[in-house]
Amino acid sequence: MIAIGLEGSANKIGIGLISHPHPSKPPIVLANLRHTYNSPPGEGFLPKETAIHHRTWVVRLIKQAVKQAGVKIEDIDCICYTKGPGMFAPLQSVALAARTIALLWGKPLVGVNHCVGHIEMGRAITLANNPVVLYVSGGNTQVIAYSSNRYRIFGETLDIAIGNCIDRFARTLMIPNDPFPGYNVEQLAKHGKNLVDIPYAVKGMDASFTGILAAAEVLAKSIGENVPEDKRLKNEGGEFITKEDLCFSLQETIFAMLVEITERAMAHVGATQVLVVGGVGSNVRLQQMMGLMARDRGGSVFATDERFCIDNGIMIAHAGLLEWGTGVVTELEDSWCTQRFRTDEVYVGWRDD
Amino acid sequence: MAHSVAEPVPTIAPLSPPSPPPTDRPLHTLPAPFTTSNLQLLAQGAEALVYKTTFLTPNTPCVVKYRPPKPYRHPILDKRLTKARLLAEARVLVRAGREGVSVPRVLGADWEGGWLVLSWVGGGSVRQVLDGWAERVKRGEQKAEQALMDGEILDLMRRIGRCVGRLHDIGISHGDLTTSNIMLQSPSQESGPQPPLGGEITLIDFGLASHITPNSADEEGAVDLYVLERAFAATHPAAEPLFQEVLKAYSESWKGAKSVMKRLEDVRLRGRKRSMLG
Amino acid sequence: MALVRTFRLPHLEDYPVQVALFKNVTNATFLRSQLLAANPDFDYAFLDATMILSPLPLLLTTSLTLQAYLSSTLRTRTPHSELVFRLHPNNNIGESYRKFGISDTTTHLIAIKLSLPPTEVTNESVSKHLAEVVEGESVPIGDEGEELGLWADVAKIRKIYKLNDGGKGRAKGKREVAVNGGARVRDEKKEMESVIMGIMVLKGT
Repeated sequence: MIAIGLEGSANKIGIGLISHPHPSKPPIVLANLRHTYNSPPGEGFLPKETAIHHRTWVVRLIKQAVKQAGVKIEDIDCICYTKGPGMFAPLQSVALAARTIALLWGKPLVGVNHCVGHIEMGRAITLANNPVVLYVSGGNTQVIAYSSNRYRIFGETLDIAIGNCIDRFARTLMIPNDPFPGYNVEQLAKHGKNLVDIPYAVKGMDASFTGILAAAEVLAKSIGENVPEDKRLKNEGGEFITKEDLCFSLQETIFAMLVEITERAMAHVGATQVLVVGGVGSNVRLQQMMGLMARDRGGSVFATDERFCIDNGIMIAHAGLLEWGTGVVTELEDSWCTQRFRTDEVYVGWRDD
Repeated sequence: MAHSVAEPVPTIAPLSPPSPPPTDRPLHTLPAPFTTSNLQLLAQGAEALVYKTTFLTPNTPCVVKYRPPKPYRHPILDKRLTKARLLAEARVLVRAGREGVSVPRVLGADWEGGWLVLSWVGGGSVRQVLDGWAERVKRGEQKAEQALMDGEILDLMRRIGRCVGRLHDIGISHGDLTTSNIMLQSPSQESGPQPPLGGEITLIDFGLASHITPNSADEEGAVDLYVLERAFAATHPAAEPLFQEVLKAYSESWKGAKSVMKRLEDVRLRGRKRSMLG
Repeated sequence: MALVRTFRLPHLEDYPVQVALFKNVTNATFLRSQLLAANPDFDYAFLDATMILSPLPLLLTTSLTLQAYLSSTLRTRTPHSELVFRLHPNNNIGESYRKFGISDTTTHLIAIKLSLPPTEVTNESVSKHLAEVVEGESVPIGDEGEELGLWADVAKIRKIYKLNDGGKGRAKGKREVAVNGGARVRDEKKEMESVIMGIMVLKGT
């Protein structure tokens, strides 16, 4: 079985082709292409511009991916696309492309939940059997565990997603968007050493990040060369607090929040494995912290690398093909997309544990 | 974009974390002055290690709640959080005690050392009562309807409802209000296989409790009730009418109860979680 | 010889606590002057017994003092002055001595001597010394130590810890107990004790 996957729920368009040779054999990546829309520094990506970007690239990427995969159109069993959640305009432009090739090639469509795509890809790559999943990206922050054919959400953000928080924090400090703000924050954080007080807001298995942005506004105004010396933020030893220190403090604080809610969910369901997926999951410091927690609980942490952690078409193809294998197809008239699509709405018919 | 050929999905092994940073507090053993002698580990949660021991006098039983350092956290943040949480728990308990809600007494603490000592709450939990009740219904010793006629258990439900109402009335949400955290203490301090239905209701485990602000009162109260409702439902389907009795008593117990009850309907609908933008 | 009871707090057994109780004391002024003069022979916590509700809060104070001593976080000059300070609900050290410590008019006295290395303090040494210096009747302290609360001035204690009696909160509390406890009689002293202990633990936070 072979599927093509189209992903475009945020600022990346990804096209991937995957083959499931046999249930007992590992899936094979035939192609995994991606192109990212980067907005100028100090700005986030807006739906309209992002959709234009996706429309500009989608045909080129599909052609190239099919060519690279070395498959004939007849060999493709289904067209998988991201149904949601995400930003509407980019989602819509990719859904339109999916519908078009489905009609053109005469293939069935499978609408895929973006979060489930991340989870299934993560499981396939790490062989983590039944982990608690921390899904952290620009649009999502969820702690998920599988139970009777659903990926159930045990904890989540009460306001904005963690990646969104990092992006906006970076923007406040005028940190560049290329390759992506989180990456630049991570690099700067490596040189930070002073921990600045940043609001820590965890409630049970949920977390809140908006307070951090308000704090960031204030902090950004009290660092840097152009602030009068007596108004600049200093540590106990009188040294000036730097942009690096703020990035360091941000990471230490928000990742501690994530690890805490993940640990609580693991204790709740009695799991020892944890799988980190989503773009923020590629952060090495987050992976380290999660690893320390998991080790203390006698378990281990799994994370995917940037090919699969960051939004991609392969994960949509993979999860879609799993679902297609259980007989699910999305009829043309149902092939809409949606900004809101909860992970636990999907019936996980391909797992029987 | 590099030209690639078909390749099996690469598999990635678990990550190996770095060594934990040094800390002056013990990770899995006890902080001073406690030693392993005379201590019995009761529970190991995500947050705290809970031990049973004696404190102040050899015949004052108590629990020690120790929050060991989290090696993944920056030491400064770790200390700050540990201290804040111990303090929050102690403050809530002292306040509840002052206002006449039966809760464990605070017998000692070391905010820097990471521990809190609370008086021992004897007797049994409401969970045990419900499990016993459900068992009898299942075995057919008592028909569910008959069992409901059981005045003593209904009276217990009403007292639970009023007790939770009182807690909310004084501005505290419990944060983890399961049937295991509602205890029945017998006046005689003896513990039998079944806790006495007429015993004093004592709420325990305030590790996630908080002072409610007027803004959050309905939501936090409703979540408490929802958690309790789920705990009842998990016991036995027949326990559902029992919970109705709890709710009835709750709704008449304090002036804010009506609006909490209204919010409970929303919380039920969304299954506690908010619908979320992608 | 004065009657002295040795308490060993669980987990702090290495630091025994010697406690003696006296009534009809006539030389409080002298005892107090020795404290003020910091006479090393009078290194005791001399407490006004009317301010002590029951043994548990007193033992809690002792445990908090030992804890502070062992972690080098004493807020006052000596462990014995710390003990007096820890009884007080707020951080005013001078006031804590005036309210809880011995005064010129004290007639009922609790004397406490901590045993902290390297000083050797025994039941006998304390008993002998107190018999020599305290002019008053020695009162035996039983196993449970209940005698320590014999002369508690409940109204005064209520006032200093701001425990309202018959206030709004209290009335509500009573109603709650009526619904909760059934036939159970509310143990008011026990509740006061709980709150006082909570206040002591939370002090300074």
